[in-house]
Amino acid sequence: MNLEADSTSFLGLRPLPARSRGSGDGASTKNGFLGFELRPSLRTKLLMAFLAIEMLLVSVGVIGLLSLREADQRANQVVGLQQKIEAYRQMQHNTLRQLYGVSTALAFPNETTLAVVLRQINQFGYDLDRVSFVAKDEVALLNQVREEYARFIAVVSHIVDLIRGGRAAEAKQSEFAELGPLADKLERLTNQLVNRAEADMVAGIDASRQTYVKSQILVAAVALVSFVLTLVLGHAISRSVIDPVRIIHDGLNRIAAGDFAQRIEVPNRDELGELAAHVNSTCDELQQLYRSLEEASRHKSQFLANMSHELRTPLNAVLGFSELLLDGIYGDPPEKMRSALERIQRNGRHLLGLINDVLDLSKIEAGQLRLSLADYSVEELVNVVHTSVEPLAADKNLSLRIAVPAGLPPARGDERRLAQALFNLVGNAIKFTDRGEVRIEVEAGVDSYVFSVQDTGPGIDEADQARIFQEFQQVDNSITKAKGGAGLGLAIVKRIVEMHGGQIWIESRLGHGARFSFLVPARLEQQATQT
Amino acid sequence: MSKRVLVVEDQEDNRQILRDLLASVGYEMIEAHDGEGALAVARAQSPDLILMDIQLPILDGYEATRRIKAQSDLRHIPIIVVTSYALGGDEEKARAAGCDAYVAKPYSARKLLETINRYLT
Repeated sequence: MNLEADSTSFLGLRPLPARSRGSGDGASTKNGFLGFELRPSLRTKLLMAFLAIEMLLVSVGVIGLLSLREADQRANQVVGLQQKIEAYRQMQHNTLRQLYGVSTALAFPNETTLAVVLRQINQFGYDLDRVSFVAKDEVALLNQVREEYARFIAVVSHIVDLIRGGRAAEAKQSEFAELGPLADKLERLTNQLVNRAEADMVAGIDASRQTYVKSQILVAAVALVSFVLTLVLGHAISRSVIDPVRIIHDGLNRIAAGDFAQRIEVPNRDELGELAAHVNSTCDELQQLYRSLEEASRHKSQFLANMSHELRTPLNAVLGFSELLLDGIYGDPPEKMRSALERIQRNGRHLLGLINDVLDLSKIEAGQLRLSLADYSVEELVNVVHTSVEPLAADKNLSLRIAVPAGLPPARGDERRLAQALFNLVGNAIKFTDRGEVRIEVEAGVDSYVFSVQDTGPGIDEADQARIFQEFQQVDNSITKAKGGAGLGLAIVKRIVEMHGGQIWIESRLGHGARFSFLVPARLEQQATQT
Repeated sequence: MSKRVLVVEDQEDNRQILRDLLASVGYEMIEAHDGEGALAVARAQSPDLILMDIQLPILDGYEATRRIKAQSDLRHIPIIVVTSYALGGDEEKARAAGCDAYVAKPYSARKLLETINRYLT
């Protein structure tokens, strides 16, 4: 394993991919350094941020510990100074007691008072050791003190000897001439020491207070900086996550809406950047797929349009000749032949209708159908349809009613196509209704007309209502099977209505008939764009 | 003298239907199989009426109609255009080319005859 490669990947440095991945990556190579580019992953970013916060916390702790240590040192210092002062005072006290002891021994020279003086001398040695232990730094003064003490003790010893020898006057003389001045000198020296120690102590306490204030400020400052840094880092991280997520989300919405040309651009070079690149490449694939599907669909429609045209030519001849035969052009046909010719005519026209439906739909789908817009009379349009379906209704003993408001102003649209739409709806209604009536109604709205066809047929189940406007879809039941049909009529109606910028809907309940309605603008000046 | 109708139609079966139909009412039928032929026959025989199919080889019905109507000595001949099943726009195109009437396939022989009679009686 290559250690170097390993460490670079940990830092988020990755070798540039040999092949540029998408157009968005082209710019990034500018930021590359010696063939590497900085691509911190999301994980690395988060890790870094938490590490930074962690380091701040640790530094606050370290600063606190250092301040504590300093405070502890100061406290120790103060304690040491106090001990020093105490030791000095003890020495002063001892000197005094020694002076008293000597005075007492001179006043009452006996073994008891002398013993007190001698014990005091021992105590001196002990106190001297203690002072030299607690005040190692005061070498010069201490040596002086030590010398003076040695002298003081020597004088005391001498006085004790004099008292023992009964030379009280000499002893008194010695006390007065030597011991007093020595004690004074010692007191001055120890006072000097005490003063110094006290001054040190005051300085120490002062420094300690300053240290406290300083560390307070430092901790507060570091805490404040951490707070701000945490906010900034949190904001930066969440921005670098939330913003691209939102951009990708919007992009996906646009893709879902069918916009394949767009590209999602996020500044991230991390997982989210990769995700965006992925979405982009998927979008490209979708676009290609969509185009090929569109093309296939166009080819299909073109094929159907051509095919149905080819089918119609011979069929027209069949219909033409059978009509001439029926009309007696070639001589009066016998009754049996007439009936057969009528069947040829009927079936031929049915076949032609189916072929025309396929042609219509495929032409609409291939985008070849153009509306021819002109002024028309709604009343006349309904009458034309009525006339052509009347025989069908009469054959089934259905009553056919019309309700059109009188005096409607001229409308504008493709009259022939709208008539075809209405015809298909009425034709269906008659086809599926066995008794009762079929009503054709027109309602004039604001800038629009609603054409409705109401029947008393079997009705359409709610689940089927959504499907019936799709091509080749029929309500699948025994009734439709018996009635036949290719299921193209409603799809054509829907397309015609949509090309007029209108809409179509159905209201029906199983067993309670159906009402198909379509709304078209009263005056259409321009064909609606197909979606 | 019987009226002469020029039928411009490339499909023999369709011509036969019209032949039989026109003969049954005593019209004489002359034929052309494409747009160019229609121009030549119209000029040579000056028929009383032209029945013009739209989908024709060489020169389509619209163009043939336009050319005939562009000539002063032929302009008076009524032209009935027969389109195949129309999807909108055909009628406008036919009118724009200058035809007098317009019949969409599939036509009923009887109705076509009615239209023809309108121009010949």
